[in-house]
Amino acid sequence: MEIAIKNSPEKLFIATEKQTGKAFAKRFLTSLITLFLLVSLIFVFVRLSPGDPTKKYVSAQLSPELSQKISEKFMLDKPVIEQYFAFLLNSVKGDLGVSYNFRQPVMKVVWEYFSFTLVFSTLSIFLQIIFSFSLAIFVARRKNTFLNKAVSDFSLFIYSIPSFVLGVFLIYLFSVVLNLFPISGLKSLDYDSFSFWGKILDQAWHLALPLITLSAAGTAMFYKYIKEGMDDVLHQSYILNLRSSGVKEKVILKKHVIPNAISPLISVAGIELGVLLGGALITEVIFSLPGMGRLTVNSILTRDYPLIIGCVLTAGIVMIIANYLADIIKIKFDKRLLKGLLN
Amino acid sequence: MMRKKILFALFLIFPFIFTACDSKSPEHNNRVIIGISADVNIFNPLFTISVDEGAITELLYLSLFDYRWNEVKGGIEAGPMLAKRWEWAVDSSSLKIFLRDDVYWTDGTPLTADDIVFTFDVYSDPIVQSRLYGTFEDLFVDEDNHIDVSKTFSVNSSFEFEVNFPANSVPNLDVISPSIIPAHIFRDLKRDELSYSEQNFKPVSSGSYYLKKWDKNQTITLAANKSSFLYDEDQIDEIIFKVDPDYTSKIIQLKKGKIDLLELVKVEDIEELKSNSELKIVPVIGREYDYLGLNNIDADAYSNGEVVPNKYFGSGNVREAITYAINREEILNERLLGYGEIAATPVSSIFKSVFNDNVKPYQQNITKAKNLLASEGWDDVDQDGILEKENEEFSFTLYYPSGNPLREFASMRVQNNLKAVGIDIKLEVVELGTLIEFLFERKINAWMLGWYIPIPVELKPYWYSDLESTPLNFANYRNVKVDSLLDLLQTNIPAEKRTEIIKTFQKMIHDDEPVSFLYWVPNICVYNKRIAKINITPLGTVSHCWEWRLQ
Repeated sequence: MEIAIKNSPEKLFIATEKQTGKAFAKRFLTSLITLFLLVSLIFVFVRLSPGDPTKKYVSAQLSPELSQKISEKFMLDKPVIEQYFAFLLNSVKGDLGVSYNFRQPVMKVVWEYFSFTLVFSTLSIFLQIIFSFSLAIFVARRKNTFLNKAVSDFSLFIYSIPSFVLGVFLIYLFSVVLNLFPISGLKSLDYDSFSFWGKILDQAWHLALPLITLSAAGTAMFYKYIKEGMDDVLHQSYILNLRSSGVKEKVILKKHVIPNAISPLISVAGIELGVLLGGALITEVIFSLPGMGRLTVNSILTRDYPLIIGCVLTAGIVMIIANYLADIIKIKFDKRLLKGLLN
Repeated sequence: MMRKKILFALFLIFPFIFTACDSKSPEHNNRVIIGISADVNIFNPLFTISVDEGAITELLYLSLFDYRWNEVKGGIEAGPMLAKRWEWAVDSSSLKIFLRDDVYWTDGTPLTADDIVFTFDVYSDPIVQSRLYGTFEDLFVDEDNHIDVSKTFSVNSSFEFEVNFPANSVPNLDVISPSIIPAHIFRDLKRDELSYSEQNFKPVSSGSYYLKKWDKNQTITLAANKSSFLYDEDQIDEIIFKVDPDYTSKIIQLKKGKIDLLELVKVEDIEELKSNSELKIVPVIGREYDYLGLNNIDADAYSNGEVVPNKYFGSGNVREAITYAINREEILNERLLGYGEIAATPVSSIFKSVFNDNVKPYQQNITKAKNLLASEGWDDVDQDGILEKENEEFSFTLYYPSGNPLREFASMRVQNNLKAVGIDIKLEVVELGTLIEFLFERKINAWMLGWYIPIPVELKPYWYSDLESTPLNFANYRNVKVDSLLDLLQTNIPAEKRTEIIKTFQKMIHDDEPVSFLYWVPNICVYNKRIAKINITPLGTVSHCWEWRLQ
């Protein structure tokens, strides 16, 4: 199979399936090297930075020998290079070690937190895309109106509000004053007694304010990208040509403007998704949600070395996957972009 | 268009539907919700480290004795719990314990002497690395500090056994007071894998409450154990620990009645909480004090293996002068709004029987501070406002931990106060873990930190001269006379003698002023008045929650 790409009106760029596969394999290899370097640097840096995870076992009520024993158990008494090679050997076998705090395998702990973050971030990114897109189209149809300007100004205002300010404001308004949403948490205390749909609605009720907090700035940013992209396309001569040919405005928007304007959005959405999957610390803390952000920060503050590596590795992997997804979607919309990837 | 309107209407009424659902139904009113800042990681008393972990596992796993705070004496007293009574041998070399025969694990297995012996074997096993490893020196232990159970315990029957103490030990109940774990659950597990066992998260327990549900990072639900001998029908059905790392969120929930009890409430919130007629505020003084740490020895020399006095703080007169220069009243009034107490020594006034009330805190006295500094040769020769001695200015860096507004405020006040006597301080904020590392390495001159005092009072780990065996002596304080007192406390002496020694210790510490003791920080506890029979003591808030009642 061959993929034909219009490079210019005169020249046709042909990419074979083999070339495409090779390009993706090359990127995959680069990603692996990036991850390896990332994990190796973090491994060394956290051990060289001040702080010792066994010091929490030193207290007036505990024996000084305990901290020594635990240090030996976690190989912290060994040179960093020896610890590093042991870590590499275990990592190859899929074992990232045991969390010092949780006393459970790192991957198990990470998965417990990541599963929430995956759902939360995916919902947020969908909301951001849907709302920003709908808003941009709504505004595009009302060019040079007060509404157009008002929406643009308001989006800038929303974008500039720090998430902790927005989160606290939403809690004050909707939880304290109006008593409509819960202040924090992921589910009600009587969650187990609810029906299946009751459980779904209960979680949606709990996640409403956190999702608004997490998605507001992203929605405003995406809106800006889409709107600017659409404005650019709408000023192209071929749009004028289509209009003069009597093509309906709705068709122009759907078939010509949106596909051409969406590319920058997808790139940014890929990065945004990767960032969100790495953890949304402020929103997680304000609303007491069990996400990767809190896990990562706590692991750093308590010097839980294996867990720090697990969190960083997870964040790195999701960032790479999110960017891959963004590239694939972009190419689906605009095959010309494949050339850039192959180069 | 109509469909969109219906969806929009549903979206608007959605929160109202759930707000209605959220109101407490009658069957769920018999529960108390306690706000905590961080989730627990484990439910096994072998491995609990944090305060909340300890409080919760102590409810799940009973001990031989029931420790209660005696307000009159200002100390703890042991009463019967798993042990219904006990008899000391005349020479105190052994202790005979009679266990209750009506205690069952939550799986129905009876709790017997076998569980007790197994528990202490596991606690002291070096392979297990329990939190109490190495603390059983008053029992028969081998060279690895592992208890020799055959010498230590003599089991007479399922509900009667004896504890034998070696010669020269200090026979006491505390050494056998840790929570008891079920032998039939843990016996077949490999000792080196105990800390990772699934049983640590699904406890088979013996206490007045059992773990009903653990929603990680959300809630820990304990339900009344109706087969417990502690149970009665008025006991609260459920104690729920709600995890919320955000302090403001917890305060809002407390005001709205979504949380019934909260500890460590900030003093600045008290006035507003007082206006809520449903809440009761209980400030408990006494287990934590903040201090200005002063390294008594030279950090650079210590890194080279030498112990020489610190050029600034090696002299007791200089340390005393620093305390005289600090206005602790001001910090107490401005930041703790009068709650709390000025500290004179590391022994709190709550320990009434051993507290030396003849030792009074130094009152701020700038003239006296200047005179003391001058007597040690510190003089402002170049008239630049900073004292000098042997061409060296009295100028140092004070490290304080990030994320603690009280200590940050105190550090700034100390900086201003000491400037008035000619001492220049540069402030540097560091992350707590990093600061602790600096202190263990004994590499900084001055810091602002606090100590949480154990019950019963423990002094040796903080003030003994042997820096190798007492890593917590961050100030590197060394006084052979104090050492001899601390050594005496480790021996088998009568209670009166012990009291006398602790009082003398306070006098000596006050004279030496190894650090500048600042103030005792209050633990302000706020709870909903619907909870009755709640007794908040320095031992903790939830320690006897099976006695609480709802009204």
